[in-house]
Amino acid sequence: MAAAKGLFAKCQLFKWNIQAISAGIFQNGMAIYPSFYIDPIFRKEVQQELVQSGEIDQYAHLPTKPAANNQTCSLTFDPDISLFTNYLMRDGRKNFARQLVEKSLEQVKRIQLEKFHKCTSEEDKAKIELDPKVIFHRAVTNSMPLLQLMPVKRGGVKYQVPVPVSHHRSRFLGMKWLIEASREKDKKTVRFWTQLARELVDASNNSGRVIRRKQDLHRQCEANKAYAHYRWS
Amino acid sequence: MRLFTSLMGVKQKARARPQEPVPFKEILPLKLKPGVSGKGNKMSNLSCLYEMSILFACLSNSEFQQQPCGKEITSFQKCYSTYTSDKKQKSERDMKGILTPGERNLSAKQLNMLLKRYPS
Repeated sequence: MAAAKGLFAKCQLFKWNIQAISAGIFQNGMAIYPSFYIDPIFRKEVQQELVQSGEIDQYAHLPTKPAANNQTCSLTFDPDISLFTNYLMRDGRKNFARQLVEKSLEQVKRIQLEKFHKCTSEEDKAKIELDPKVIFHRAVTNSMPLLQLMPVKRGGVKYQVPVPVSHHRSRFLGMKWLIEASREKDKKTVRFWTQLARELVDASNNSGRVIRRKQDLHRQCEANKAYAHYRWS
Repeated sequence: MRLFTSLMGVKQKARARPQEPVPFKEILPLKLKPGVSGKGNKMSNLSCLYEMSILFACLSNSEFQQQPCGKEITSFQKCYSTYTSDKKQKSERDMKGILTPGERNLSAKQLNMLLKRYPS
C-alpha cells in the first residue's frame, strides 16, 4: 500500500502544470505580453478607416497591447518624428531627445521665417515652406539612399556588392546620417539643435553634407556595379 | 626477411586477382528514398539587375541627381518590393505545403507529400 502511495506521489510530480506550459508556448522573449497580442491601433484616422471598411469587428475581441506613453491620438503626433526621436535617444533619455527634436524644429521655423521676411516680392514668399514638419519629411525623404554596399566573400576576396535596400532600412540610414552630420560640429560654439536644423533645411533643399554622403554611396555603388551579380541567397 | 623466405622455399604471392565476374554485394537497398532534403532549394537572390543597370546609367548621366531619374527609381523600387513580397508569399506557401494541381516548381515539402502518397 505504501509503495503504491509513493508511486502516486511520483506521478504527481510529473503532472502537467497547465500554466507553466502555456507560459512556455506563448512566451515572447522578455516581453510581458504574449506573442499573439496585437499592436494597439491608437490613431483616430486609422480607427475611422477600419469602421468605414467594416474591419473593426475583427479587432473587437482580440487581446491588444496597451498604447505606449508616446503613442497618442493627438494632432501633433507624427510617427516619423517619434521614430527619429528614438534614433536620436542616448541611454534611454527620451525626454532630452524629444527636447532636442522640438528645439531643432523650432530653429527650422526661425530659419525659414528669416528667409521669408528677407524676401521682398510675394512670389518669392509663396515659394518658402514655413511648416517645419514638412521640411523634416522632405529632408528625410531626400536623404534616403536607394542602394547600399554589402560585403560578399568570393574566393577569399571581399567584394563590396551593391544591393537594393528596403524602405525601412533606407529611412533608418537617412535619419542616422542626419543625426551623425549634426553631431559633427564645433562643440564649443554650436548647439546640437541648431546644427540639426541647418542640416534639415539643407537636406530639404537637396544640398548639404547628408545629400553628398548619399550621392557618394551611390557613386561607390555605381563603381562596383560589376559585382552586382555576386549577390546570393 | 625476403632472403630468408626465399631460402626456405616459400613462394611469394601477389594480392590475389579478383574473380571474374565480380560478385555484387547489396550494401544499401536498391531503391530511391521516399523523400528529398530541402537543402538544394535555395532561391536565387539575383533580382532587379536590369533595373539597377538602367538606374546606374541614368544616375551617372545626371551626375547623381535624383530628380531627372524619377521613372527609373520608381521602377527599381517597385521591382524590389514585388520581389520581396513574392519571396515572402512563396516561403509562407512552402511552409504550409499546399498542393495545387499543375504546379511546375514544387517545394521540398510538397515533393515529400507527393512521394509519401505515391511511394516507388
